[in-house]
Amino acid sequence: MQISIRGLTKIYQTEGKTFRALDDVNLTIDANTIFTLLGPSGCGKTTLLRSIVGLENPDSGEIRIGDEIVFSSEKNIYLPPEKRGLGMVFQTYAIWPHMDVFNNVAYPLQNQNVSKEEIKKRVAETLALVQLGGYENRPATKLSGGQQQRVALARALVAKPKVILFDEPLSNLDAKLREETRKELRAFLSELGITAIYVTHDRIEALALSDVIAVMRSGKIIEKGDPHKIYFRPDSQFVADFIGRANLLAGTIGTCEGEFALVETAIGKIKAMNPKAFPVNTKVVVCVRPEFIRLSSLRDERENNLFKGIMQHLVFIGEAYEADIKIGDTLLTTTVSPTKSIQEGDEIAIAFDAQHAFIVSE
Amino acid sequence: MPQRGNLTLHLVVIVGFLTLCPVLMLLLGSFMEGFGEFNGLTVQKYVTAYTDPGLQEMFVNTLIFTLGSATVATTLALFLAYMNTRTNIPFKFAFKVISIVPMMIPHILFCVSWALLLNPSNGILNKLFMDLFGLENAPFNIYSLWGMIMVEGLLDLPIAYLILAPAMQSFDVSLEESSKVCGATNWKTLFRITLPVLRPAILAAIILVIVRSLASFAAPSVLGIPGRIYVLPTHIYRMISTGFSADYGQAAAIGMSALAASIVLIYLYRYLTSESSRYVTISGRGFKPSVIDLKQYKYPLFTLVGVLSFVLIVLPIIVLLYASFLPYIMVPSLKAFSMMSLQNWNEVLSDPISLLSLKNSLMLGIGGATLGVMLSILVAYVIVKVRTKLSGVLESLSFLSFSFPGIVVGVGFMWFFVQTPLYGTIWALLIGYIATYLPYGIRPMSSAFVQIHASLEESSRVSGAGAFTTMKRIVVPLLIPGIVSGWILMATMFVRELTLSVVLSRPGSEVLAVQILRFSEDGLWGQLSALGIIMIVISSTLVVVVTWIGNHFSGMNVKG
Repeated sequence: MQISIRGLTKIYQTEGKTFRALDDVNLTIDANTIFTLLGPSGCGKTTLLRSIVGLENPDSGEIRIGDEIVFSSEKNIYLPPEKRGLGMVFQTYAIWPHMDVFNNVAYPLQNQNVSKEEIKKRVAETLALVQLGGYENRPATKLSGGQQQRVALARALVAKPKVILFDEPLSNLDAKLREETRKELRAFLSELGITAIYVTHDRIEALALSDVIAVMRSGKIIEKGDPHKIYFRPDSQFVADFIGRANLLAGTIGTCEGEFALVETAIGKIKAMNPKAFPVNTKVVVCVRPEFIRLSSLRDERENNLFKGIMQHLVFIGEAYEADIKIGDTLLTTTVSPTKSIQEGDEIAIAFDAQHAFIVSE
Repeated sequence: MPQRGNLTLHLVVIVGFLTLCPVLMLLLGSFMEGFGEFNGLTVQKYVTAYTDPGLQEMFVNTLIFTLGSATVATTLALFLAYMNTRTNIPFKFAFKVISIVPMMIPHILFCVSWALLLNPSNGILNKLFMDLFGLENAPFNIYSLWGMIMVEGLLDLPIAYLILAPAMQSFDVSLEESSKVCGATNWKTLFRITLPVLRPAILAAIILVIVRSLASFAAPSVLGIPGRIYVLPTHIYRMISTGFSADYGQAAAIGMSALAASIVLIYLYRYLTSESSRYVTISGRGFKPSVIDLKQYKYPLFTLVGVLSFVLIVLPIIVLLYASFLPYIMVPSLKAFSMMSLQNWNEVLSDPISLLSLKNSLMLGIGGATLGVMLSILVAYVIVKVRTKLSGVLESLSFLSFSFPGIVVGVGFMWFFVQTPLYGTIWALLIGYIATYLPYGIRPMSSAFVQIHASLEESSRVSGAGAFTTMKRIVVPLLIPGIVSGWILMATMFVRELTLSVVLSRPGSEVLAVQILRFSEDGLWGQLSALGIIMIVISSTLVVVVTWIGNHFSGMNVKG
């Protein structure tokens, strides 16, 4: 089911100050995709999710789910959450402690006209789907965190909702379980072919799970795209920095050569991709991900971007060294194989391909 | 510290005496022939006490009274707590006032003021309604079971509120939100999610109010006795107060039922409060819960809250003040105001017994609270910081007396004091007060000690402060709030103590509340009101002064 959002704005008044939790958000979420809202805390992603599900009543704008308008400030429409027919997994799971697993999962069906046998059958099916078959009579509070999370998922799915929403559902799991659940959830949702909206502040979770990521900041959606686009070709410095480790070098575009441009920076001229086709003399930022910076021999003239520097810090983290390399007054970060025999203070040279450096707006 | 074990042992002996002495004496006394002499065991008192033909009615009354008060108090408290924590009702500070201030108004005065308003012969409101609507008879009779239930319910409302409000505050709102997303309406969510999840807290509130109303003496004596409606405490009181034929043996025999019921209830309460922690679910960083918008009901609902706080706090004081200037009770009118004088005040302030009761209550309040807090500090220290088997015994002992009805403790102590020269002295009252109210002193003290985590002291030592400096700059300032609140609680409770005092007080050891009860029995409303106002002023002054000293003291230490 497609979801489209037009001009959505939500303003909070706290202690005389106005705070725009959502600031004119326009967004279309295609049917049967896993769509992630990613951003730092306070960026408005949870408010947006809660507006879609109906727990938040925005100040202006319009939300459509499929063909149905569920919220419109102009037409004075506000459908309460119980009428929207969606499923949601809460950050705290919100498992009702006074009910057993069966009643927790059966609850959405009990609120519709579904016969007892049918409820029993569908709860059993859904529990089997989340690998909790036979857990019907367990008290909900006696389950582990991971199991509670799956009960919450079963409850969100049991009524076959049009859309399922997730509010940071993995943040209460420990690191290892989180990684496993992430994989399972991705496979599970792709198989169901359901529209899913997922809120997180964890970039790896977003990259691993999503078909489409929308990055939010200060109540606005600043960029939207598939995980590869967001990671390798973001438009802005903020997104480049937020989605992964990045070396960011401010500069001015000197010359343009097709899809490349030469940028004057503090460490010298850098040849980089210019996907947004910024013209000459624009102030921009060059982004190079640490994994693309490699150590080079000093005399290799064929390199596009070759810089001499000093190995400032080496930090051993097991699978590699994290290295800070000083070029002039600028520090660049990279990872170095632990087998290399380099020491702090050594003079070295680094290089990276022009295809792996890209220009973003300031 | 090597003497720690000794300290624990001493405290176990002291607290054990205070807690168990009245119980054992009650048990012993219930099997004795006469009062004060321990010779020849008999079950005659039980036979007589439990074959009384009026007993069944008394038990039924007690059941209706306690359950009724619990229903009234818990329902109102639920409403107030929900409004305060979950909706956008205006003027939320009013709720704090409602939950604290009624504790400053002595229960007996609250009951008297309702008697003044709604008694069937000359109750002010009754007269007013009769004049307004031309009625033949008084429309309300406060001297009835429903009158007792209503007043007791209002008296116990703060206790129920103090249990329910934190439970609602910590309620995870996403439990309700997920119910709505699952297609349930607001009403359905309230009845299928909110109330069931709060069930342990609601039951705990109900049980605590039942315990309180079972021990309550003010409403049953001021409102029940004139209407000949007896419940357990007044039934026991009747047995020992009828001058020459007082029967402490029968009183003890009946008292055993009250005691047993209270102990069972309090253990049920403890079980339920530990049960409610089982309901604790995973809580996240939590999105700020959206408050429920009351829309057009906002101000009507607030008016309801306003009326409730008026009835709880303002009305009793106004009525007493008004009555204290009048020769007899009448509806406010020009005539009434022209008849006002200071005569009642003059009479009370020249009445030697009233003055003696004032002096006794003040001494008991200040001296008793000081001794009580000192004992509480030591007990709390041992319970919280010295964790041994013996300190566990101490904890159970100190909690036990929480459930004892005052009148039963009084009868038990009576059997003890009559053997000693303390009988009929103010010291008997002092010991009885501390024994009964010790749990109220220990609770704030132990939470203060819990706050002083060992690392706070340790880091002070590591920072170069000696043991003395650590005590002065770290431990004492952190304890001050606990000491202050414990002292206030005990002092105000002692100044207004009634239930225990009606048993233990004798000519020469009168106290304020007992004197007020005498005035009420004699229908001397004017003098009663004057003395009542003095009583309220004393307890409020105590609260204000001690809070000020506490703030000042801890403020100095933080700065210094």
